[in-house]
Amino acid sequence: MSETITPDRKSILANIRIQRFTPGQHKSAFYDNFKVSVETGMTVLETLRLIKNTQDSSLTFRAFCRSKICGSCAVRVNGKPVLACSTQLMPILEDFKKESVTIQPLRNMPVLRDLVVDIDPVIEKLSKMHPYLMENRDRIPESLEQESLMSRQELSRFDYITDCILCGSCYSACSAASADPKYAGPLTLAKAYRFSADVRDDFKGERMQAAVDQGLWSCAQCRKCINVCPKDTRPAVSIQRMRKMSIDDGIHDTPGSRRAKAYTEDVAKYGQVNKPMLPVIVNGPKGWAAIEAADNYLRKHGIEPERQVCLLDGQNSAEQIYDKVKEIESKGENKI
Amino acid sequence: MSDKIRYGFYSGCCFQGADARFYEILQDVFAKIDVELELIQDAVCCGSGVIEERSELTSLAVNAKNMAHAEKMGLPLYTPCSTCFNVISNAQKRMRENPALHAQVNEILAEQGLEYKGTCKITHTLWVIAQDVGLEKLKERVTNPLSGLRVASYYGCHTRNPADIQGFESADNPTSLEDILRVLGVQIVEYETQEDCCGYHLAWPNNQLNMQMTANVLEGAHKKDVDLMVTSCPLCFKSMDGSQAKALAQTGKNFQLPVLFLPELVGLACGMSPDEMKLQFHGVPVSLRL
Repeated sequence: MSETITPDRKSILANIRIQRFTPGQHKSAFYDNFKVSVETGMTVLETLRLIKNTQDSSLTFRAFCRSKICGSCAVRVNGKPVLACSTQLMPILEDFKKESVTIQPLRNMPVLRDLVVDIDPVIEKLSKMHPYLMENRDRIPESLEQESLMSRQELSRFDYITDCILCGSCYSACSAASADPKYAGPLTLAKAYRFSADVRDDFKGERMQAAVDQGLWSCAQCRKCINVCPKDTRPAVSIQRMRKMSIDDGIHDTPGSRRAKAYTEDVAKYGQVNKPMLPVIVNGPKGWAAIEAADNYLRKHGIEPERQVCLLDGQNSAEQIYDKVKEIESKGENKI
Repeated sequence: MSDKIRYGFYSGCCFQGADARFYEILQDVFAKIDVELELIQDAVCCGSGVIEERSELTSLAVNAKNMAHAEKMGLPLYTPCSTCFNVISNAQKRMRENPALHAQVNEILAEQGLEYKGTCKITHTLWVIAQDVGLEKLKERVTNPLSGLRVASYYGCHTRNPADIQGFESADNPTSLEDILRVLGVQIVEYETQEDCCGYHLAWPNNQLNMQMTANVLEGAHKKDVDLMVTSCPLCFKSMDGSQAKALAQTGKNFQLPVLFLPELVGLACGMSPDEMKLQFHGVPVSLRL
């Protein structure tokens, strides 16, 4: 008997609100509402199939593997990008405490029809990142019989990204990609990092240039991509690491790298970022205009501006931490 | 005498220096709802996620130090800054997942006679008010309900993403901000861009994109004819209020939308005056008839 392991079977008569749109046929997107009896365990994909089979055969969506592997079925449910095949509807109905859900196509990509989007523009951006290994002869043996070995620590630098299935969920969730169509987006930068972090690769320069050109410093680190990724690949973390790699490579002439340098050095020195002077540190002499504007604003409100860092009490101990970390990192004993 | 709820207060950079008024406002508003803040001495800047771009271990060690101080005080670590909340919680999560890393960080802290045990609870204004103080008590203290105000609520990103560091409520459908706002009496208006990021952390690396993202969020709320926007994040507040004029001018949009930092609106509803909430400091004028 399976009584003990079977969850409570629930059923809710829900309104499934689905965005419809066929370019050339409809002037703009609109919503169709379908009544479906949603049961415990039922996935978004099963619901879409049920609607297509029993209510409207013209409803168009894309799905293939049904196993969270192919990445083709990503849609937005109540605004959040999810894989239709691996996402159950009941928990969402319960979370939102409504008997209705809205299903839309992914954002930031052209809609081909209903829930199907064209991911080609994203793949086009990805292809510019050189997403492949260029042999590092020091690490790849000449003979085919020998394997190309790496340590666990070397593997851990990028193994978490190899799970990416290019479903486009992170790209859909990215506000920077919405605001700037030229920005490469989370998954493409994460893939660039994945190859650049691989010890078998020897192609840093051009790939790094591609990453910088396509917006390495345009990620706001809002971390939505981490929240929505169905494979937990944490793209925003890879973007931070790609930034570090670019600075380690000696690329110091971007506002972003100057900010990183300023934050790091200031916290060591003062335990705090020297915010009043940041405009000049990051933007050079033209930053003075912003400092003067800030001074005037404060004076207007009767506060005498200070050019000094505002001090938390921890300034003395921060430097001690930095020194110790440097010692650990120089010995390669970092447990990250 | 009612019992006070006490927190170890981690100020971050938004509540000192030129922005010290926010600390005063916060203390005054919290006094109304029986919350007391005790400053965490010897705290260090959380690094805002930027120090990671040079050294992840440094960021973890610095934030373990911040948490260790709160642990020593025997109080939960409360920070009103969403980014500090995110960065410090992330540090906690990574050390929980990796005991070797936790031990290494403690080796670093040992030189200062500190130990990060991992027991520290980290919280944010949203949950201090909605869960610890509770909506019932807040309701008792509201003497000036802001009935009829049409308000766009804005969480920003860092109390929500990633979902698993938080645990206070659903990351996909958080309600704490709206729960608080409803008690204050306002009418909450949904708008299309409420989930988008304001781009504050691009202010230095890509200011133009920051302005575009801020303008996008503001325009979504403006389209719904709201009286004001309220945010629980002090950095979003800087984007939405401080940079609003620049963002809208740069993107060719022509409107003004007053923006309030959540504690300010709570203060107003609890009978404090616009002067006490120092609304004259806002970049976008706030004219509320209370």
